[in-house]
Amino acid sequence: MSNINGKVYAMNAITPMKPWKTWILRGFFFLLGHIKPLQKDLIDLSFIEFARWVVLPRKGFPFLGNSQVKEDLKYDYLLFFSNFNGTWNQYIDAFSAVLSKGLNLVWRWSEKFPGSVPVTSFKEYIARVQFDTDYYFTAYPHATANDIKSAHIVQSSLDQLSLVAEQCSPQQFADAYLRFVLQVQSHLGETGEAPIAG
Amino acid sequence: MPNKSGSVYGLTIPSPIIEDEKATPSHDLQIRDYLAKLSTREDSPFAQAPGTHLARLVVMDDVIYVGMPACEEHLQSKYLVFESNCDGDLDGYLRGLVDTIPDHLDAIWKHCVGYPGAANRQAFIDYMKACQLDTTFYFAAVNDKSVSETLRALQTQTDVADFIATHQGADAATLQREFLQFVALLKSQPPPRPGSMGPHRDIKTGGRNE
Repeated sequence: MSNINGKVYAMNAITPMKPWKTWILRGFFFLLGHIKPLQKDLIDLSFIEFARWVVLPRKGFPFLGNSQVKEDLKYDYLLFFSNFNGTWNQYIDAFSAVLSKGLNLVWRWSEKFPGSVPVTSFKEYIARVQFDTDYYFTAYPHATANDIKSAHIVQSSLDQLSLVAEQCSPQQFADAYLRFVLQVQSHLGETGEAPIAG
Repeated sequence: MPNKSGSVYGLTIPSPIIEDEKATPSHDLQIRDYLAKLSTREDSPFAQAPGTHLARLVVMDDVIYVGMPACEEHLQSKYLVFESNCDGDLDGYLRGLVDTIPDHLDAIWKHCVGYPGAANRQAFIDYMKACQLDTTFYFAAVNDKSVSETLRALQTQTDVADFIATHQGADAATLQREFLQFVALLKSQPPPRPGSMGPHRDIKTGGRNE
């Protein structure tokens, strides 16, 4: 198993849902996708690089004929894949503390979901429905989501400065350079190895 | 479309694994064995093929029973789940995989039902699409930058920090001249290779308590 690569953790979870409930969940996700302010808490949890939910209908498993036996299931399933920075405990704690209402709206349709608060029973549930990753690749293992956002701010500011750098007088450039340094100074944190959780 | 967030594509492909009682070891174990030996760094197949931000391969043994009063049920097949966050459109990404790393694809997916092989590019693409699931909700923290743009930006971030540190107190003319040289050098360098900038870490398990 290989749930970690550099600073990223890969989480997979699958939960059963009664088929009629998946339509409510699809409706919620539709609203979440189209009303951007509803995503604010998710964005504020700035340690998530990518996350996705996939509703897998009980008759929606790929069937390719040949020797494959067709699935015969009573439940639809909700798949969750997340790529986050930090440890499993930090992630679940933060999810529970910041996103409890949103999480409840997502998983309350799943069987036996205990609610995201209190966090102890929530963790037990996630641990039960999680399955491990066999192979995990990231193009930038040394960087967190915040590092990536910062790096793009630095790149953009540098591009703007370099556009005018040649035409300025030395003094004008020095002034522009100072403004550039002020702009990027809080985005220059060093990337590198993640601390090992004790 | 929920599969996309900005310019990033969220790909989810579960492929049924061949059930064969006579196979020793079983096909799912053969996949796991191959994946365990595959590099996750710059010599990873996904670093060689273009456009992968993050990707994972997971053998899903079964659905999970959450306890009474839920019904207990089981899958008929195990599934190899390929989950990728990649650049651009799906066809272009799959073409990039099949053109760059066909041997790895065959070594992994030959254990899956109906896999046509990577030698026939269109059949490979059709197979992947036949197994693909649509994403219901997709979130990407940064959804308007390609892999190479992000790698270049990360390199720039490090180099800019060094430049600022080494040019404190420089006079205006020197600063301008050396800044222009610095920018020209940055532009002339290729972006770092995907997977190349991370530290080696032996612990990869990431158990529940880590």
